[in-house]
Amino acid sequence: MTDYKTAHKKIPLFLPHSSASTALNKTGSWRYVRPFYDEKTSPCAAACPAGEDIGRVEMLVSRKSIQQAWETILEENPFPAVCGRVCFHNCEGACNRGQMDDSVAIHHLERFVGDAAISSSETPKIEALPDNGKKVAIAGSGPAGLGAAYFLARLGFGCEVFEAQPEPGGILRWGIPTYRLPRNVLQKEISRIEKLGVTIHCRTPITAEMLQAFKTQYDAVFIGCGHGRSIDLQIEGGQMAINGLQFLYDIRAQQEMSLNVRPTAAVIGGGNTAIDVARALVRLGIDPLIVYRRRRQDMPAFSPELQMALDEGVKLKTLFTPIAIKGAGKDSAGRQAPYVVTLQKMKASATEIEGRARVVPDGDKTETLQVGHIFSAIGAEPEAPWHHASAGDSACLDLSHCKLSNDGIPIAYGGDLTNRVKSVADAIASGKQAAMALDTYFKSGWDAVNQAVTGCQVGPGPAVSMAIYLGEERKDRSPHRVSYSEINTHYFISASRVIAPVLPPGDRIQSFLPVESTLTTEAALEEARRCFNCGICNACDYCRLYCPEMSVTVEDEHRYINLDYCKGCGLCVAECPRNAMALKEENI
Amino acid sequence: MKQVAEGSQAVSEAVRLAKVQVIAAYPITPQTHIVEDLSEHCANGALNARFICVESEHSAMAAIIGAASSGVRTFTASSSHGLAYMHELLHWASGARLPIVMADVNRALGPGWNIWLDQTDSLSQRDTGWVQLYCEDSQDVLDTTLIAYRLAESVNLPVMVVLDAFFLSHTYEPVDIPGQKTVDKFLPPFLPRFQLDTDNPGAFNQFVAPQAYMEMRYNIQTAMEQVPEIFYRITEEFETIFSRRHNLAEAVQCEDAEIIFVAAGTTVSTCRQAVDRLRSQGEKAGLLKLKMFRPFPIDFSRQVLSGKQKVAVVDRNCSFGASGIFAQELRAALYNAESPPQIFGYIAGLGGRDVTPETIEDIYWQTKNSDSPPAENLWIGLDQETVESWHN
Amino acid sequence: MAQLNASERDYFKPGHLGCPGCGAAIAIKFALKALGEKIIMVIPASCASIIVGPYPQSAVNVPILHTAFATAGAAASGVRAALDMKGDSETTVLSWAGDGGTFDIGFQSLSGAVERNEDCIFVCYDNEAYMNTGVQRSSSTPFGVRTTTTPGQDWKKTRKKNIMETMAAHRIPYAATASIAFPEDLIAKFKKAKETRGGSRFIHIFASCATGWGAPSDMSVKIARLAVQTNIFPLYEIEDGTRYTWNYKGDCRVEDYLQTQGRFKHLGEEDISQIQSMVAADWRNLLRKTGEVPS
Repeated sequence: MTDYKTAHKKIPLFLPHSSASTALNKTGSWRYVRPFYDEKTSPCAAACPAGEDIGRVEMLVSRKSIQQAWETILEENPFPAVCGRVCFHNCEGACNRGQMDDSVAIHHLERFVGDAAISSSETPKIEALPDNGKKVAIAGSGPAGLGAAYFLARLGFGCEVFEAQPEPGGILRWGIPTYRLPRNVLQKEISRIEKLGVTIHCRTPITAEMLQAFKTQYDAVFIGCGHGRSIDLQIEGGQMAINGLQFLYDIRAQQEMSLNVRPTAAVIGGGNTAIDVARALVRLGIDPLIVYRRRRQDMPAFSPELQMALDEGVKLKTLFTPIAIKGAGKDSAGRQAPYVVTLQKMKASATEIEGRARVVPDGDKTETLQVGHIFSAIGAEPEAPWHHASAGDSACLDLSHCKLSNDGIPIAYGGDLTNRVKSVADAIASGKQAAMALDTYFKSGWDAVNQAVTGCQVGPGPAVSMAIYLGEERKDRSPHRVSYSEINTHYFISASRVIAPVLPPGDRIQSFLPVESTLTTEAALEEARRCFNCGICNACDYCRLYCPEMSVTVEDEHRYINLDYCKGCGLCVAECPRNAMALKEENI
Repeated sequence: MKQVAEGSQAVSEAVRLAKVQVIAAYPITPQTHIVEDLSEHCANGALNARFICVESEHSAMAAIIGAASSGVRTFTASSSHGLAYMHELLHWASGARLPIVMADVNRALGPGWNIWLDQTDSLSQRDTGWVQLYCEDSQDVLDTTLIAYRLAESVNLPVMVVLDAFFLSHTYEPVDIPGQKTVDKFLPPFLPRFQLDTDNPGAFNQFVAPQAYMEMRYNIQTAMEQVPEIFYRITEEFETIFSRRHNLAEAVQCEDAEIIFVAAGTTVSTCRQAVDRLRSQGEKAGLLKLKMFRPFPIDFSRQVLSGKQKVAVVDRNCSFGASGIFAQELRAALYNAESPPQIFGYIAGLGGRDVTPETIEDIYWQTKNSDSPPAENLWIGLDQETVESWHN
Repeated sequence: MAQLNASERDYFKPGHLGCPGCGAAIAIKFALKALGEKIIMVIPASCASIIVGPYPQSAVNVPILHTAFATAGAAASGVRAALDMKGDSETTVLSWAGDGGTFDIGFQSLSGAVERNEDCIFVCYDNEAYMNTGVQRSSSTPFGVRTTTTPGQDWKKTRKKNIMETMAAHRIPYAATASIAFPEDLIAKFKKAKETRGGSRFIHIFASCATGWGAPSDMSVKIARLAVQTNIFPLYEIEDGTRYTWNYKGDCRVEDYLQTQGRFKHLGEEDISQIQSMVAADWRNLLRKTGEVPS
């Protein structure tokens, strides 16, 4: 037997048997193009005036990382629960998913995140720089003023906010009815700003004299007083119309009002104030008719709000403009109607101004209307001349959402005073931009401001990002805005958009209680999963899955290309469902 | 225990005793009795093995390669066209260094179809890296098959046991069939030196670049060169256990012989008879039996044949355009020997034509009466009438 | 890989010799993910035999037996028999052949093996021609294709052999088509095949070859996806040779697929509409077998 085994040993064997790894072959040398993770700008983020990182927020929601989603919004906007209710959500119009089936319900998701944060006891982990010793006085506690205070505080400034009204919030508190924005939601988000060390002085209207004094007491001033004065109807009897904004203020101040004696009303205007006034009237038992001089599609009011109003029984009359108001008479039903309004028929001309039809009187066609009340909601303007940055001031820096002038100390103007679009999100954007501008001014001087601010634009702009300003990861994103054709739709199954629970119109008009509810967690997660996460790596891992070279690795949740083996086939880039990768040529 | 058995049965009994684990085979006359017997053994439990009834000889050898690579003892048998069809895999088996044993029943190749004895099938495979052992009788078949396993597993080369069609495969003779315990002493369970193993994953037989291929081929050659010595040691051990001696070649009455026959297979027995008859007539005839064809027993041939006058090789095959293959091999082996003999290459008994003691004696007289070989190949027993008719 | 019910680990290593964007390499990667490490691969001559590494290397973490071109079915049978004799019923034998080693030269040994109902998984990774030797036609090459042996106007005028039907005719327990562009489906099928022990399982994988098909390397997966979406390569399963199930219904036109590859570039409108009707007929035939439309 021993021979048998000895014989084994005696014969040397050299056969084609391999157990070394092919990993010895650095096949990366075959490569002439190199893939890399190239996060890009999602169209929603570029469309959001506040520059929220929406693609990432939805990714976090889909993973049920609600706290992180909230913090991601707070990077750019201190008011998720507010904006999730009142923002006109441009983002959804830009959403690529809309070209496949229906845009993602970004607005509802923002509200869901904001509300989840309010009901959670967690405090957000938001980057705040140490005190820089500078103090800023802020005029107005609306979304612009509080936005400025929030971002300035995070940048290390000491902030004091001066508010004329007894409570802070500006338009958010006084201009938006509670069925859209309940008091407690606003209060919670304002107190979060106060927790950053911001002091709010209510019942302290700023005067020109105070502003002069500020120049010695503060290092800078932000003026965000908004358009506090409604524009009057410049027609015969125009003074008989009730100021719409004032009406909304009164409702908020008193909770309930009684106008029941006169069951009809005309609301003149086509903006959100007109809608809010009309919807408030419905809730007070009055039949309102909105009279608008242009066509329905030209109305500056947000169309979902208009639709809600119509559902609730508000009537709309377009292409008519009032030319005279007289007191007298009865309405067609024989009820007492103190006002007769003469309406001029209008017609749309071929020309458009900023997408809206220009209208001209249609000859001398007129109608009369008998109503119990008349409300005017045709716009507003600044209350005092010094609320404007000095016109013709050569030292005035005109940025996309704010203006910066230098009158001994830097003075920034924001909100409705400077914004072309008068919206909450734009107001917040102006506060953020002003904060960046002031911070840059103190760090690097006047001349550096423009470049520093425009350098923080989200994609093609004009929204600016605080995360970019602070040098966070987001600054590495390509400004390229991802288009629908760049999405690999194969990776997405058609799914209908979530429908937020909403009260039936008949129930809505019984009170000023919120009309819409917040999404359930389940519905929010499902909706967030519909998001393409355009241009943003959501760790779907298709790159790693398809890589024929096993060259995609994951470390600390980040993906890397192992260039030792990557042959540059480009499959990872071609298969990325959301265009978060790109190829570049190797320098050979 | 002595039994009367066919040569085919001698093979199948040896395979049973060797406790082969996987058999794959495709039937071809005259190999069929071997595989039928083995199927029977597997069916009735006499042999605990998987018999894979493949759809071709090509697949038979491929399946055996798969099994042997997985570390089990294997067997197949074929013949003629079947062996030719296996050709590619014969190379693969030796290149993979697998200790496969197969039986080849020597049969002619077509066309025309011919099922009888001819050595061309096995000899055509001489360059495939297989050890080839030719058998003279049924006992030789059984013993050689057992030895083949020891040899194959010692040198990691495949071994072909060759037996003549019908004269051996279908001829009953008394055969001593040993008991299992005795065989187990000689042939312990197979201990593979390498095998497919999920715990030690590696690749076998893949692409090899010129940088390593040649050394692998040289390694096969060096293993082949050690076969005679290892064969000697194994057969010594065999003799101790079974009291039967087997050599890679055997010299019969060669010491004083003037003319020595060289043959393999059953022709050896015929030659033995012819030598005895010639000796009784006072002729100095001798015989060199070649058992091992690959590796060719060069040293042994030189020892026996150097200094002799004439050698008459009986080839039951022909490499067309050259000569009988044993003759060629012997010429090559003796070319560098001291005083090599004259080599007369006779081609006889192709396609089952009889080679009788008279045929061998005829060869003896032709050799004795020629001063030197009149041609490189001398065809014996041709029908002259037919041959001459071609020229008319 | 949240979306896959498979190992996070790769048993396929980098540094292998597949071309950039190699569909066959992706197929190996997925199959091994599904099957894990208790497998023995049998690979006949093919691109795969080169891809998995030259001596002294191997690109996979499982044992491989490289075998002669025609012999995958037989060699796998031998490995299985040996494992059975060693009492190893856990290890799966995976025969991994290309279309040449399955449809053509390996067809006989495959047929033999599946007729014996060998307990192995037989895979054909199909790149529709002899790629390793420089793109010569095989019986898997579809109608309309130009290869180096069907050049110019002599582009292939006969249809691709229906290998799945041949397997169904052997009545094996499980046969399925799969595509590198549908990893979830592919992995599920490998897992099902692994669990269907005791008989022959056949998986026909569409493994695009950018190099041989005249397409950019980053198109491999898209092409494979389009093949399914156009019903050119439908995803379906056949159990016991009789029970058919389709897994995906395509609704794209064949042009969408054909235009992605140079090998079809020469085809005219008539040829394309002929291909469309062939595909439609095949698809109807498949639906008939699934019982979806009456036969």
